Amino acid sequence: MSTKNRNLLFGGLIIALIIAVLAPFLASSNPDGLESSAESMQVPESEPAYTAPLPDYAIPGMEDNPLGGVIALILGTILVLLVALVVTKLLAKRKENKLDKQ
Amino acid sequence: MHLPDGFIPLWQCGIYWIIALVALGYALIWARKNLDEKNIPLMAVLAAGIFAIQAMNIPIPWGTSGHMVGAALIAIIFVSPWAAVLVLSIVLILQGLIFGDGGITAMGANIVNMGIVGGFVGFYTYKSLKGLGRIPAVFLASWASIFLASIVCSLELSLAGTFPLIEGLIFMGLYHAVIGCIEGVISVVVILGIDNVRPDLLSQWVRSKKPGAVE
Repeated sequence: MSTKNRNLLFGGLIIALIIAVLAPFLASSNPDGLESSAESMQVPESEPAYTAPLPDYAIPGMEDNPLGGVIALILGTILVLLVALVVTKLLAKRKENKLDKQ
Repeated sequence: MHLPDGFIPLWQCGIYWIIALVALGYALIWARKNLDEKNIPLMAVLAAGIFAIQAMNIPIPWGTSGHMVGAALIAIIFVSPWAAVLVLSIVLILQGLIFGDGGITAMGANIVNMGIVGGFVGFYTYKSLKGLGRIPAVFLASWASIFLASIVCSLELSLAGTFPLIEGLIFMGLYHAVIGCIEGVISVVVILGIDNVRPDLLSQWVRSKKPGAVE
């Protein structure tokens, strides 16, 4: 990977991580557009069909501590970056192989 | 706009899952043809940034809030709605599996609304409006992507018998017409930012004409 692309990757990750760290403190806890609509039309809340390991971007046991949210979002941001890198590299790799054979 | 479990009957969820998987197939074909060493880092950081900024709910009137989705931004930067389907699928799958944001059964519908509708509306609105200048076109394309995704979401919910048709359209449309402005502003800021630091990563159709920028 070129230096320019490495800088982009790290620079972008730092911006994403800053957002992730600030979000639990700055984000509005008001319901979102869909939840508000559901409330306005008296649609009852539903039960999730599956229990996620970090439900609602919180660390279990630290639900009231914004630090839990910070940790969950940092983990999530890094995880999304890694998954996106691996998925896109695997897909692009095949193209290179195909070109090599030609 | 993340639909939880239980808002849409399972058989209808199945239909949205099938549409989402077919679209994801096309997105993978697009990725294979178009991704390379040059644009992979940009796509990966944008995916991470979209995940983070989706947690940043911004208050809007009526005691409601909303956040950026990012599909239009991705579709415009990578010049393809399939890029948006790919990135939003990665983000939505991880949000659902790890953070319980968006139901597992409703994940297909969430990919349809935010990835497919968001990506295609964003892409084609930008394509048809770019004559207005790229900043208004990016803003309007991003706004329209959120607004129409919420309209489709509302139609799904009325088909599911969860929302009444007209009331659903009014509430969802009204809230997301405001949330769309957040989407528009952030998309413009991100595109100007990339244009500033790495104009070489932007396609001609969204890049500012810089002196010396020879194709």
